[in-house]
Amino acid sequence: MKNLSSLIESIVYRNLDPGARDWLTAKAASVREETGGTQLALAFTAMPRKTGKKDPGITEAEQQEAERDCKGLYIKDWTLDRLARVWLLMQADPADKNAYLKKIENLFSAAEMNELVALYSALPVLAYPEEWRGRCAEGIRSNIGIVLDAIIHRNPYPAEWLEEPAWNQLVMKAFFTDKDIRQISGLEKRANKALSAILSDYARERQAAGRSVKPELREIEKLGGGGQ
Amino acid sequence: MCCNHSSEKETADHNIVPADLRSIRGMSFFDPHVHMTSRTTDDYQAMADAGIVALIEPAFWLGQPRTGLDSFRDYYSSLIGWERFRSSQFGIKHYCTIGLNSREANNERLAEQVMEILPLFINKEGVVGVGEIGFDDQTPAEDRYYRLQLELAKEAELPVQIHTPHRDKKKGTQRSMDIAIEHGLDPYRVIVDHNNEETVKEVLDRGFWAAFTIYPFTKMGNERMVEIVRQYGTERIMVNSAADWGISDPLAVPKTAALMKERGLSDEDIRMVTYRNAITAFAQSGQIDEADFETVKQIDQSGRFEGNSILRGGQQPRIDKSSIIIS
Repeated sequence: MKNLSSLIESIVYRNLDPGARDWLTAKAASVREETGGTQLALAFTAMPRKTGKKDPGITEAEQQEAERDCKGLYIKDWTLDRLARVWLLMQADPADKNAYLKKIENLFSAAEMNELVALYSALPVLAYPEEWRGRCAEGIRSNIGIVLDAIIHRNPYPAEWLEEPAWNQLVMKAFFTDKDIRQISGLEKRANKALSAILSDYARERQAAGRSVKPELREIEKLGGGGQ
Repeated sequence: MCCNHSSEKETADHNIVPADLRSIRGMSFFDPHVHMTSRTTDDYQAMADAGIVALIEPAFWLGQPRTGLDSFRDYYSSLIGWERFRSSQFGIKHYCTIGLNSREANNERLAEQVMEILPLFINKEGVVGVGEIGFDDQTPAEDRYYRLQLELAKEAELPVQIHTPHRDKKKGTQRSMDIAIEHGLDPYRVIVDHNNEETVKEVLDRGFWAAFTIYPFTKMGNERMVEIVRQYGTERIMVNSAADWGISDPLAVPKTAALMKERGLSDEDIRMVTYRNAITAFAQSGQIDEADFETVKQIDQSGRFEGNSILRGGQQPRIDKSSIIIS
């Protein structure tokens, strides 16, 4: 992750004007040092004011490098503020586990829409990944489109860490909300029997209602050993 | 005859025709005070159709008093989260102001705790001011939390949106302005809301922004509003609906624009009081970018077809209201 942090840092910094660079450098230093989460919360919230929301122009090579460091991570379509927020989260010192978990949890509990997007995007790079299962499952319950996108589309965390019922919820929610199914990471790896059965039922329900069934549904159904 | 007459009456009772807003088609509106949490998706759709491109939802009293801090926290979170998203579904850019309303300032035990969480929210993206704050009953507790929040706004360099009381309005309005000045706020960063013929002159003379709420029966009617603009011009004047859980009208701003046009006000004057002035006042927060009014529309289009809870898979984004068939 150290490589990833410096990669993202270089992308973020080349997009900032000198004033914003100084601000971020100072903030990141205090985030690294603090035990409480005040500096993190302040800088995390203020980020778009300092960075703006432009496309940071990530190259294909940089995307590949990110993916090498954190399997499945896709940063290429992130805005600058999102990228910088994730980077800032990576600066928090995880040595004191309770303090670390608490400061990140606090960000979730008072987050606005774009902050939630950044927080869920950061799940694959946070320390103590096993501790974020509940948070991720909670995020899947969100009905805010862009928040769901951040969890469902090209995010490697769910496939890597979610337990089966939560994973199955994610896939179902993706169908239910018309997400692009092919952008879910780890579909093949996480195919399972229970999911196949749920999908079969769902397909029948849709047919009974005279609604269409996505072809992807049949593929996943088969992967899990179900289907016609 | 008798029968004809009665059937005509039936028609009049049951066939409610929507207001004709064709004269203002193509104009854009900004409603700087509307409580969308209390409104339906039909309202959002009607607002978008009528030309409302952006709005501000001030934090207020929900009708039912809150009894715990978490109720406040969740409410503030919904203003920067769920409600913002709901609005984007209809291509309307949603901003909010965050504050402890005057009524609930009277629950002092709770008010103290709310003051502690306000700093967590006022610097969030899209928070364009501290509001709506001010007086209701004009109690000592209201005075205390009004002052504390003025200090908060000053520190955060945010505009202030002031709710003026229904009862003892004139004195309450004067007192709100006196206190704001006493705390060193620049009147140009303070929007005094719910004005009427009795309060407007002093508010403008002292350099504050004067907002007018077009709200049936209890606040301003829009015919009176036309006269206000004729008399005072358009400088630092803005119109809002303050539509909420009561009998109110989320189309009050476009309807007022239509009435102004009908009564001969210029398009430029209409634009100032139904769009431009509100943006000028609240953009002092640094949180309003007019380019976002367009962006939210684009997100909306793709968002709709990608689906979500309101407009779920396969369903057409727009309900055919003239059909009894629901598919």
